[in-house]
Amino acid sequence: MAIDVAADTVEQAETTLFRRPRLTYGFWSWITTADHKKIGLMYGYTAFFFFLAGGIEALLLRIQLAGPDGAFLTAAEYNGLFTTHAVTMIFLFVMPISAAFFNYLLPLMIGARDVAFPRMNAVSFWIFLFGGLFIYSSLIFGTSPPPVGGNLPGGAADASVLGSIPNSGWFIYAPNSGATYSPGTAVDYAALGLQILGVASLISAVNFIVTILNMRAKGMRLLRMPVFVWMTLVVALLLLFSLPIIAIALFMLTFDRQFGTLFFVAEAGGDPILWQHLFWLFGHPEVYILILPAMGIVSETLPVFSKKPLFGYPAVVFAGAAIAFLGFGVWAHHMFASGIPTVAQAAFGLSTMTIAIPTGIKIFNWLGTVWGGRVRLTTPMLFSLGFVALFVIGGLSGVTHAVVPSDWQQTDTYYIVAHFHYVLFGGALFGLFAGIFYWFPKVWGRMYNEALGKWHFWLMFIGMNLTFGPMHWLGLQGMVRRTWVYPEEAGLGAGNFVVTVGAFIIALGVLVFMINWSYSKRRGRVAPNDPWDARTLEWTIPSPTPEYNFAVEPTVTSLDDFWHLKYDEDEEGRAVRKEKADELVDNLIHTNGNPDHEIHLPAPSYFPFIVGLGIMFIAYGIMYHTRPYGIPMLAAGAFVTIGALFAWGSEPLEEVGDDHHGEEDDLEPDGSEASDHAEQQH
Amino acid sequence: MADIAHGHEEGGGHHQLTGIDSRKLGMWVFLSSEFLFFGALINNYLLFKGRDFGPGTLYPVELYDIPFTSISSFVLLMSSLTMVLAHSALARGDQDQTKTWLFATALLGTIFVSGQFFEFGEFILHGLKLNINPAASAFYMLTGFHGLHVVLGILMLLVLAFKSMRTGGLSEAEGLNVELVGLYWHFVDIIWIVIFVLVYLIQ
Amino acid sequence: MAGGAHHHPQPRQYVSIAIVLAVLTAAEVALFYLEAGVDAIGQNLTVPALLILSALKFYLVVAMFMHLRFEKRLLSRFFTSGAILAGALYLITLSVLGAVVLF
Ligand code: HEM
Ligand SMILES: [Cu+2]
Repeated sequence: MAIDVAADTVEQAETTLFRRPRLTYGFWSWITTADHKKIGLMYGYTAFFFFLAGGIEALLLRIQLAGPDGAFLTAAEYNGLFTTHAVTMIFLFVMPISAAFFNYLLPLMIGARDVAFPRMNAVSFWIFLFGGLFIYSSLIFGTSPPPVGGNLPGGAADASVLGSIPNSGWFIYAPNSGATYSPGTAVDYAALGLQILGVASLISAVNFIVTILNMRAKGMRLLRMPVFVWMTLVVALLLLFSLPIIAIALFMLTFDRQFGTLFFVAEAGGDPILWQHLFWLFGHPEVYILILPAMGIVSETLPVFSKKPLFGYPAVVFAGAAIAFLGFGVWAHHMFASGIPTVAQAAFGLSTMTIAIPTGIKIFNWLGTVWGGRVRLTTPMLFSLGFVALFVIGGLSGVTHAVVPSDWQQTDTYYIVAHFHYVLFGGALFGLFAGIFYWFPKVWGRMYNEALGKWHFWLMFIGMNLTFGPMHWLGLQGMVRRTWVYPEEAGLGAGNFVVTVGAFIIALGVLVFMINWSYSKRRGRVAPNDPWDARTLEWTIPSPTPEYNFAVEPTVTSLDDFWHLKYDEDEEGRAVRKEKADELVDNLIHTNGNPDHEIHLPAPSYFPFIVGLGIMFIAYGIMYHTRPYGIPMLAAGAFVTIGALFAWGSEPLEEVGDDHHGEEDDLEPDGSEASDHAEQQH
Repeated sequence: MADIAHGHEEGGGHHQLTGIDSRKLGMWVFLSSEFLFFGALINNYLLFKGRDFGPGTLYPVELYDIPFTSISSFVLLMSSLTMVLAHSALARGDQDQTKTWLFATALLGTIFVSGQFFEFGEFILHGLKLNINPAASAFYMLTGFHGLHVVLGILMLLVLAFKSMRTGGLSEAEGLNVELVGLYWHFVDIIWIVIFVLVYLIQ
Repeated sequence: MAGGAHHHPQPRQYVSIAIVLAVLTAAEVALFYLEAGVDAIGQNLTVPALLILSALKFYLVVAMFMHLRFEKRLLSRFFTSGAILAGALYLITLSVLGAVVLF
């Protein structure tokens, strides 16, 4: 290999300028890390923190609605809380916690050492974190004076802290979100904040797509990938193609509010319905972005806890892809009440119903997986079964909205609220909890507490049905969504009381989970390496996962390769554990835990963090550009971001003079690694 | 346990199952999504350009200077030629020509953007303000975002061009960057090809 | 080296492609000016003609300058998916909003 001396000197000079951080433990190691596992954990913790915030907001809403004519919150506070609750749960909890799973598990499941672009992975996280903080900083800086001529009662109370967080509904409908009806900055925090979060998700989408396409283990053809990996790919594609649409919509909204454009200003010829189209063009793919990760998770857990292969693997994969594809063609079913042409209503009603087909296929395949299996009712299995049951209910009510006249009755009532909580809480959240318990031993090397886990499940399951079940009836009785009071005479009191009780039972369940988590990760029983007798590659390595993931890069010869290592089939096609299975597994895990040569891992870097910070300040600058400090803030943010990106680009690939670095380390029996690394030098 | 070195780089030489370099694949994936981005902007303009905003308003169409825009479109088109020549020169190992063509591309891009500035200035002088009607808003937002993409491209080109001035020129890794920036640059050009016809010529 | 350089076009070919692109652009502009002088049938033809010309330019830049013709199929799959999806979604949106008549 030819080493260009001149180039080497140049690198050396840059090294002193941009010395890469090296710590692998402690505070700065987290700030600078490019390790997908650490990034995954940070995503998880941050998302859970926002989950608690969103949960508290929900409890406040439910206290207000517990009885008729509630006086706990003002109308303005109610608006702020329900909007921020939804924004939090969707964009700051379910999406990032799914990202946590993708980050932690994707490389492990495809047998890779990291994602394709580790530093870009870090930048996704930091942009997300600062975007979330940006939205929540509206608690301190946000303002929301009552609009001129508006009719919200409450007067001065409207300017309270909770009244000045984003408050125009999570879909930020025009013209309500325009400058006339929403003066102040509350809506700007939502628009710019979601814009920032979109950047984060787009970067990670590209990263995951490339990772899956390029970095799978030897022999892992596409149809040998675990379903979870498939769903990751599908979600990434959905993000890739839907985020640019909402980015434009949010820019338009921001420009309308900040720079006087007229896109959604009906009085000036603008078109508020255009906002609805752009929002739901993104919004419906978005609901599949929320549910598909959970579907991927239960497609892993159900086979494992039924001791059977996934029934109809290709069908499940295909159905997932079909859902995503069809999901782009149904957006106007959210707009049946907006006066779109009749032909469009019929067409979108029909296209919506076709989605029920692949969805049904998935459900039957999951049932087929459990059917006749040796079922173990562990906590993750309970959550998975709960997912299937509750998702079916949500899916069915979804089909009822696909019938246009039926939807006219349901739209903007609690019936819709019931629907999307069954799919999002019963669906997405239960699936995610199944995943959290299933992979707990992988992450911490210890078992969670099974008794507490079951308490958690049953509290959640009962609480969830008490909370969202009665909402179907309340909605059909005519209880309107997004209003802060209902009168005594409406006869909605009893139902609402049950709902509020259910919400607190859920809260109790979350508390039990938190105790379980923090206790078990330190004191839990030490977990065996393959505690569930699982099927996928992440269980072929020691727990907790070593920093380098795999000491030996795995080779795969079939779907569920790890399972076939352990099991044979008898004449009737039933799985029989091989005699030597335990020994084989132990050997494999031992090999994977003891690398015999040095392994190169992504180097940490300061710049992703700085880029995230800079972008946040750009957003503040745009929002306050008419104030004296606005433009300086914008300039500073842009300078920091571009500077950090430039420095990032010039960061030496490897630290020259790094003790660990040496050619001889890279030598592998076949020499292939070595040549790869040589290429990397320049 | 053996030592672990931190230094393996992005898009690393590890397996690239598709046979496509990860960074290049990432660029193509990203560019595919940009269709939805510019599509939305074009969608907005097409929606509003035919709407009636009452008397006394002004539509972008009324101010178009087709000869002028044709020339600036031509300039951008030719910058795609210089870009591809830069890339092809680098592939031949001709660092000198690479440098020349990189600078030429950046220069042509700058001419295009200056033209756009000039056009915006003229339009505003004639009273076509951002907030006169939604068609004007949509026009400025579409061409503005396109212009912003060009500016970003120019910046990246200049970074590469200045790097190519060092002794020894661009390294192999930076050579891939030339290809990536090139892809981005051509993409911005094809978006303009679409805009030129849909927005300027079909009235 | 980035991309197998062997079957890529040579600078001379790039220049000829650029000349074709220039001619197509000139044709577009010419069509634009001709439109005023022709009858109604002719006018109905200019729009499709312009669209075809720009599609040709689009194709040439993507296929030759971006080398998509010489790349793995995967890349063109991504690229065309994005382009077709965008075209379809926004066309439907425009028709639902009444700006384009599809049916
Ligand atoms: C069989 C599958 C499904 C069908 C047929 C369906 C259908 C619908 C329809 C027609 C609406 C609009 C109702 C209205 O506003 O009047 C709706 C609302 C909604 N759906 Fe679904 N849906 C399905 C699955 C899902 C899934 C899997 C999720 C999320 C994980 C989801 C989340 C939502 C949300 C959040 C809303 C309310 C949006 C809002 O108004 O804020 N749906 N659904
Ligand atoms: Cu939907």
